[in-house]
Amino acid sequence: MEKHFLADMMAGEGKPEFRAEPWYNPYGDCIVYKMADEAVVADRIDELLTVYNSAVDNRPIGFQIKGVQATIRKLGLDGLAVASEADAGGVKSISIAALLLAAYEEGEPTLARRRAYASVMECSVKKRTIPADDLQPA
Amino acid sequence: MAANCACETIDPNNPTGPKIDAIFPAAYLLRLYKYSPVDYENLRAAKYVLENPKRIFFGVRVFNQGGWCYTGHPAEWYIKERAIVPFPKDRVFAVYVNPNLQVYECRAEYTDAVDPLCPVDWQNRYRGLTWKSTS
Repeated sequence: MEKHFLADMMAGEGKPEFRAEPWYNPYGDCIVYKMADEAVVADRIDELLTVYNSAVDNRPIGFQIKGVQATIRKLGLDGLAVASEADAGGVKSISIAALLLAAYEEGEPTLARRRAYASVMECSVKKRTIPADDLQPA
Repeated sequence: MAANCACETIDPNNPTGPKIDAIFPAAYLLRLYKYSPVDYENLRAAKYVLENPKRIFFGVRVFNQGGWCYTGHPAEWYIKERAIVPFPKDRVFAVYVNPNLQVYECRAEYTDAVDPLCPVDWQNRYRGLTWKSTS
């Protein structure tokens, strides 16, 4: 494989290390989570949820939750807050599970959707929150 | 130091006109480089697709107006660290671009049964097809 077109730019950025944690992508207004450093094939479940299947063996290895700002506008940060932090002077973090539940409530309660959302909820996500300060769209 | 990276591609608003620059945002590039190495490697495939698109779709999100999806078929991609394989014939590589022409998602998609250069269910996922390669 030829040299990466960004290799020179990234030369001083340190050693890469895969991090299995959800993060907010401000350019796509979505939360992205991958539990394995593998390429993904997207399985779009509905307008708000896409499941990432591994390109290696097709097992689910992550997800993307879209329309984050619209969900926040609808429910407010308080509606997505981590309960233990909600009363301590403002919302510090929002819950991934609360976002998923909000996304599920937007669509028809079909078996396929229920199964997909359940599989995502069962993902072994170590970090289950996103700092509220990170949720700034680009 | 990471900086925005421009990539010349077809103007989705004027496909037959001059090419325009899609932007890989610096923060996005740095995130992939530092914490998602395989996705970083597959930015090569994303760049290839932007430079050699086969289909461009518009209206890719319900809750975020605008944006496009460029699709194409790179020759190869990384499926895990140090594992480069031919890009499968029954997948299509999709690059999602927001209304500011900033790239925000690059990934493989399952293909449409009739047109393998389209993602599956594209008729319901997107508002329409903006442009289609004739080559």
